[in-house]
Parts: sequence; C-alpha cells; structure tokens
Amino acid sequence: MFVALLLAQVLILNHVHLLGVGTPLLYVYFAITFRRNFPKWLVLVSCFLLGLLIDVFSNTPGLAASTMTLVALAQTYLIDLVAPRDSAEDLEASAKVLGLSKFVTLSALLTLLYCLVFFALEAFNFFDVLLWLARSVISFVLTMVLILAVESVRSR
Amino acid sequence: MRNLLDFLYKYHHWLVFVLLEVVSVVLLFKYNSYQNSVWFTSANAVAGKVYEMESKVTSYMAMAELNEQLTLRNIYQERQLDQLRRLYAEVTKDTTAAEREELAFLSNYQLIPAKVVENSIHKAENLITIDKGRKDGVEPDMGVACGNGVVGVVYLVSDHYSVVISALNAASSRISCSIRNRGYFGYLHWYGGDPSVAYVEDVPRHAKFNLGEWMVTSGFSSIFPSGVQVGKIEQVYNSSDGLSYKLKVRLSTDFGNLRDVVVISDKSIAERAALMQAARDSISYKQRQ
Repeated sequence: MFVALLLAQVLILNHVHLLGVGTPLLYVYFAITFRRNFPKWLVLVSCFLLGLLIDVFSNTPGLAASTMTLVALAQTYLIDLVAPRDSAEDLEASAKVLGLSKFVTLSALLTLLYCLVFFALEAFNFFDVLLWLARSVISFVLTMVLILAVESVRSR
Repeated sequence: MRNLLDFLYKYHHWLVFVLLEVVSVVLLFKYNSYQNSVWFTSANAVAGKVYEMESKVTSYMAMAELNEQLTLRNIYQERQLDQLRRLYAEVTKDTTAAEREELAFLSNYQLIPAKVVENSIHKAENLITIDKGRKDGVEPDMGVACGNGVVGVVYLVSDHYSVVISALNAASSRISCSIRNRGYFGYLHWYGGDPSVAYVEDVPRHAKFNLGEWMVTSGFSSIFPSGVQVGKIEQVYNSSDGLSYKLKVRLSTDFGNLRDVVVISDKSIAERAALMQAARDSISYKQRQ
C-alpha cells in the first residue's frame, strides 16, 4: 500500500488542481488505517518515510514529512477516542470494523488537520488566509471523497 | 533513575515524534541554502527516472499543438531575420557582415536541448526538473529557455538531471529584463496565482514605452543572453514607493505546457562572474579600511 499510494500521488494526483487550488492528498489514508496499539514509533517512522518520499518527488523537502508525522501522532490518540468502549485491543481502523460514521469522523479529523497544516507550512512566507483556506478546504473535500472510495472498495 | 527510564519507555514515541519533526523542519527551512544536496529533490536518480518514464508517455499527447506553435514561431523569426538582414545590408552596404557577426555571437553560447520531466505551476514556489545534468554540461545558474521565451534558471544539478527555478517562483526568481529596443530594464517578479502573468519592477519613471511592447531579457544578469523573449507589457502601475513603474507582463512562455527546453551555457559567464566578484571584494575591502 505504501508504494501504491506513493505512485498514485506523484504520478496522478499531484497533477490534479481543481479550480486551480485543490489537490487531493490521498496518502493521508496511509496514516489513518493503522490498527489500535500498533507500536507508535513504527507508525511515526513509516508515515515520516512516506511523507519524505512524497517530498522528494514533489520538490518540497520536509513539508509532507513533517505534516505526516504530526498526523501519525494524532492518529494514535484519536483512534482511542473514536473506538467503541468494549472493542478489541488491536481494533482495525476501517469502515467495516468501526462503522461508517466513526470511520468518517476519524478520517475527516485527520485529513482536515493534514490539509490545514500542510498548506499553512507550504505558504509559510507567502501567507494569504483566503487562499490558504480555499486550498485546504477544497483539498480536504477531494481527499475525503477519494479515501471513502478506496475504503469502500477495500472493505468489500 | 528508574523512574526516568520508565518515563522514557512510556513516552518514547513522543521522543521519536520530536526527532522526526526536527529532521523535517530542518529540511523545510534549510532547503534554500542546501546547494550541495540533490538527494531530497526530484533531481535524484530514482525520482528522475520515474518522472522521465511518465513524461515519455504524456509527451505524445501535447505533441501536435507544440509542433504547430514551433513552426509558426520559426516562420515568424525567419521573416524577421530576413528583414533585418536586408536593412543591415542597406545601411552598411556589406551583405556578409551580418552573417559573420551572427556566427560570432552564437559561438559564445552553447545550447543544450533538454526535456522537462516534472513541472508545476500551482504552488507559490514552482520548480522544474529537466533530463540533462552535469554529465551533459549543465551547471547551476545557467539560463533555461524554450521556443516561446524564458523558463527559469538552473538551481541544482545531479549527474543526469537538474532542478530549475521556474520564472514562476515567487520567492527566488528574479530575471533581469528590459523593454525591447528601448533598453530600460527591471526585474521580473511573479507573485503567485495566474501562471501567465508576472510583473517587472524597478523600471525608471522616465522610461518611455507603449503597452503591448515586448519585454526581453537584458543580458545584464549574466544568466541569459540579451533578447530572449519574456512577454508583452499589458498594464502599467506605480510602484508602492512611487519611485518607479511596475509593469504587468503577459508571459509568452506557456508554463502549463512545457516539454522541450534549452539550457543556455555562456562561456563568458564565468569570466564575468569572476570580475564582478573581484569588484565586490575590492569595494568591501576599501570600506573596511
């Protein structure tokens, strides 16, 4: 999945610019789907690596890497929050196990966090609040649509 | 001690988190002064190869339109050349002088044709990757142009690929350009947004020109030779300090559809750069005394 998401992002999705501002950032999906109580350091390191590789391909060193690491950390805590009380210790973060509404909550929160931080960092010395919000929101919607599409295919 | 170890064990993922964030933030902010490393950019061999394969597939789709554009421009330039030759011959009564000088001019420059393998136009700081590198004679700070006008300046070079700072780079691209046949010059600056519009700043207030005139490279920057097309003047504004004009320029290069470019290597650049450096050093030396 690591390689598939990387290639999909750099070869196809990075070329999508809806309304000139929105780019789907599907690789966040990688961070969302880790099981509960998966070793936290491993989640962090693997998300960091995926982010770094995305950066290498899109000439933005550190940008996706730092944001992916942040989202990975958020995921390891958020999954405890959305998990049902008497669920398994190694609960799988998928629509099938969590139920659709909980999965949507989890992925929407993480994706929104990702988009906001990613575009804020990208525009660091060039900050324009409206443009930042536009890019974040449109990318967020696009990414969510893709995540749900991928998830519905996978959970079948 | 025991407690400390327990604490570290319990929260070791926070340590990992902080470590990784520090690494990526360093990358994020150091990149601009990271001249020597191409490992973290698309100029490294693996990323370059992937993009090259991709652009081989996609380049066929845009071929027809590009060919048409190039042919048109070729015809236009041939006619222009013809006209200039005739004028020159009329003035000097010497029919071969023009050709002689042309050859002398061109022999100063070496053109390295290259293909764009990766390009972006929607970020604030756009970079382009091309498929020629150090082994093909490309060096940092060489100018890159395409059939329709300027593209950017080479920034990082690996053995087989290079990263070019696009003219559409709000943070780092400043190409020196002047108004064709009038000589007033300024710096091309892009502010993000529309990829077909940029601004020329620092044009003096006493400059005389008309809307619709062409901006070309000035040849002062020692990156581009003079006369490479930049774009057409579309509107004139006052600069914020009121001391100069700011020209809105419609760029002639279509950055969204960029395939074939040339890297311009000027043999006299190294000499000029060395002279400039010597001049700066001697001035700062005098000031220190």
